[in-house]
Amino acid sequence: MAMAALRREGRRFAPLVSSPNPINAIRSTLAPAEEQVGLGVRSISTQVVRNRMKSVRNIQKITKAMKMVAASKLRAIQVRAENSRGLWQPFTALLGDTPSVNVKKNVIVTISSDKGLCGGINSTSVKISRALYKINSGPDTECKYVILGEKGKAQLIRDSKKDIELILTELQKNFLNYTQVSVLADDILKNVEFDALRIVFNKFQSVVSFLPTTATVLSPEIVERESEAGGKIGDLDSYEIEGGETKSEVLQNLAEFQFSCVMFNAVLENACSEQGARMSAMDSSSRNAGDMLDRLTLTYNRTRQASITTELIEIISGASALEG
Amino acid sequence: MASTAAVPFWRSAGMTYITYSNICANLVRNCLKEPYKSEAINREKVHFSVSKWADGKPQKPTIRSDTPEA
Repeated sequence: MAMAALRREGRRFAPLVSSPNPINAIRSTLAPAEEQVGLGVRSISTQVVRNRMKSVRNIQKITKAMKMVAASKLRAIQVRAENSRGLWQPFTALLGDTPSVNVKKNVIVTISSDKGLCGGINSTSVKISRALYKINSGPDTECKYVILGEKGKAQLIRDSKKDIELILTELQKNFLNYTQVSVLADDILKNVEFDALRIVFNKFQSVVSFLPTTATVLSPEIVERESEAGGKIGDLDSYEIEGGETKSEVLQNLAEFQFSCVMFNAVLENACSEQGARMSAMDSSSRNAGDMLDRLTLTYNRTRQASITTELIEIISGASALEG
Repeated sequence: MASTAAVPFWRSAGMTYITYSNICANLVRNCLKEPYKSEAINREKVHFSVSKWADGKPQKPTIRSDTPEA
């Protein structure tokens, strides 16, 4: 019985050995290397899954590299941002920072980044700017925008087109330095009439936390008005003024310099936050890519094993059909 | 009385305090000797593009890419 079965097996395999084409077909479908879809396919194709795995792996490498680059840039710029905080602190001690001041002409300076892929910091800046606009727009007050950076421009163009005064882009071509920011501030001062400037930026607390902040700089006339009204600014008269300048002269110089210093700090802090946000965004992106790759590998292996099993089943059932 | 306060010469020429201090800083930087001088000149490079808007329409952007004493 067994011998008869074996002889039948031998007879069954003989035609298979003699004709090369079916063997090639079987060999090619058993090997996981090349498989074609169509032409009476007998097995499930893993080509699609393999392509996806390759592209996801490439994306993971790219996002990892971007994270490293952002981390190194962050290290460089964080030191400068923290050092620049000392520039405007004396101004706040002297003149105060009063976001609740009531003025006629408000100008909102929104600082955003030029490049994308940095998480949600630009959206939060734009959200705060829009909120400030709503708060400050009344029957006799007007509000205008000055935008730094491409991403803020893209978002604010959509619905606030007629309130935009100036747009400044391409800021980070050279290393950020005080001279560049002061020329920017000078441009803004010359082109825009304002009573109060509200600068919106993301303050850098730590690598994972960025706080959207507003800094208010008043024009010299408003400072005079506030100083008459008393309060912190009213103590200005207790300071001695050296040189042959009057108080309004000194106030004007101080206000311009204050704007320049506050802008410098704001731009640096925003750049820091941008790099930090990009680092964490790229980190979560590469982690997601890793998860996706794991899932795809499981699917790939399952598909591969299923195709092998199908092949085996077909061969064995074909063999048993021939003999039985 | 032409003016109530004596305005310094640069203010009446149309400069702001920022421009004034930048020019002074540039003069100080030019007093350095090499190699510190080229490092300092590197620190004051300026490049940005500004475009004024009027009535919701952008006008042609101008690129300010000079070293800032213009």
